[in-house]
Amino acid sequence: MKQTITQSLAWLHTWGGLIVGWLLFAIFLTGSLAVFDQEIDNWMHPELPAHHLTDEQAVERGLSYLREHEPNAKQWGVSLPYDRSPELRASTGGRRDGVSVTLDPNTGEVLPVRESAGGRFFFLFHFTLFMPGMLGIYVVGALAMGMLAALISGIVIHKKFFKEFFTFRPAKGQRSWLDAHNASAVLLLPFHLMITYSGLAIFLVIYMPAAMDALFDGSRDAFFKAQDPAPAVVEAKRPAQAEPAPLVAIGPLLAKARDVMGPLSGVSITNPGMSNAEIQIRPILGNRIALIKGGGMRFDGVTGEQLSGPTEMRASVLTHRVISGMHFAQFGGYPMRWVYFICGLISSAMIATGLVLFTVKRRRKYASEGRVAQVLYRVIEAVNVTVMAGLSLACIAYLWGNHLLPVGMAERPDAELTVFFGMWALTLVHALLRPRMHAWREQLGLAGVMCLSLPLVSLLTVDHSWALHSRMGVELTTMALGGVLLWACWKVSQPQVERVPRKKATVLAEVN
Amino acid sequence: MKLASSAWLPILSRALAAMVGGYVFTYAFTAALARLLPMDNVDSMLVASLLSFAIYTCAILWAFMARHQWSAWMGAVLALPLAAIGFWPQLLERLG
Repeated sequence: MKQTITQSLAWLHTWGGLIVGWLLFAIFLTGSLAVFDQEIDNWMHPELPAHHLTDEQAVERGLSYLREHEPNAKQWGVSLPYDRSPELRASTGGRRDGVSVTLDPNTGEVLPVRESAGGRFFFLFHFTLFMPGMLGIYVVGALAMGMLAALISGIVIHKKFFKEFFTFRPAKGQRSWLDAHNASAVLLLPFHLMITYSGLAIFLVIYMPAAMDALFDGSRDAFFKAQDPAPAVVEAKRPAQAEPAPLVAIGPLLAKARDVMGPLSGVSITNPGMSNAEIQIRPILGNRIALIKGGGMRFDGVTGEQLSGPTEMRASVLTHRVISGMHFAQFGGYPMRWVYFICGLISSAMIATGLVLFTVKRRRKYASEGRVAQVLYRVIEAVNVTVMAGLSLACIAYLWGNHLLPVGMAERPDAELTVFFGMWALTLVHALLRPRMHAWREQLGLAGVMCLSLPLVSLLTVDHSWALHSRMGVELTTMALGGVLLWACWKVSQPQVERVPRKKATVLAEVN
Repeated sequence: MKLASSAWLPILSRALAAMVGGYVFTYAFTAALARLLPMDNVDSMLVASLLSFAIYTCAILWAFMARHQWSAWMGAVLALPLAAIGFWPQLLERLG
């Protein structure tokens, strides 16, 4: 009896560790891709043309469309193209009930753009894992907490970790995996600590609501309300009776807002054409490290007088927003994005090497055990392939699906997600059916070839894909990643002859 | 790696002390800290909450580093008085 409990505990340990590793890999890989969410989004909307509009011209295009088609709307919105996105949108009403169209920045006419789940999918998957309700957010939080504790305990255990960092024994089988794993873990330790802590901090009211429960009786609304500073600096007298009145020239307001806040993301106008019109101008997220939602500056729509903003945050709120902003990596432009992207990919590789190590180490043990253990071990190996090679394959299939699915089809974003999850499910079936090394080789190889041939798909299905630099960047980066996948495929195909001589070498050769 | 037949219970106990006991301790500690910090409500709420993940990490490590089986659960025991401090006004209200 005791023996079985011990065994089941050992299994729990193995499974627990593996599931954590699998989920962390998926979180890190999609998180790394989400660094370039907007660029991937541009690629997934190949209808968007390049443009050379100034903010003033873009707002004018948007407003002239709204004047013509939506003269009676209570609220107009124009979201501006900026250096990461060429999309010009005009909208009416609130965020939920409103209508929104994409305009051709060059003509001002409505631009038919394909429906797509877009680059945002990777961002959403990164912290929800597409689980129902809040479950995914809690799972990701628990994993982040586990990773933080593992990192700190790792530092405590490996007091000599700087020495280990300089130890690399290449081409020595398992020993090399371990060295690669340790080196990347140490090299990226600051990144790992920062990214896990800031990830937890983003959702602090969800993960650790203790202080909010104690001071605000658990009311999130009360907390957010208290967070906002004193209302509007100047509250101009609003006329009680609204009469038709011309809108103030917006150009000077844009210039003023740009001076104060930096590059702009959008303009919205409440009660356009009336005497109580109000203009709100918002900055893009990347102007500062702190993650700012909403905010911006408000102007009187008739006189152009500044009513309020940009809101100054109190030190504690600013601290929280800066820590959150460090996770979102909106600041620092493209160089910073590349740093996050590469660090994220190396972390994914570290987790992948960890998982491979974990299974390689246990391969010997299970080879000598009973039938159930062997079947289970087979499943673990298959899931290992599915999570790493299979997820890569699902991601690239998602991009292919975006270009290959009919442009006008109904429920198109859902169909794209079906391609992603369907492909992922197929890789599991494949990994269960094929011998282990074949499964690795075939999935890595296919993912690599699909990455390398992505520009070909563009060439055959859309016009002028490289009109936008960001689309060219996405394709070139995907090709580079395809190269890495093919290298990994070649690597696992190599017969493992260079083994460290040890007693169990014969057993190893057998199971390989 | 062979686990001694009798080793599983202490490990399970410590793991539970780390995860559950650690969270309960951190929750109570954060509430008490937020209550005691001489700052505005918003500030003390954010300061305490931002620190909480570091506290939780320490609580988890403590559960595994504690010399005795039972001292691993110390955090969970300490949570009671800490929660009383953190939720003092609510407690008074409840007691009438």
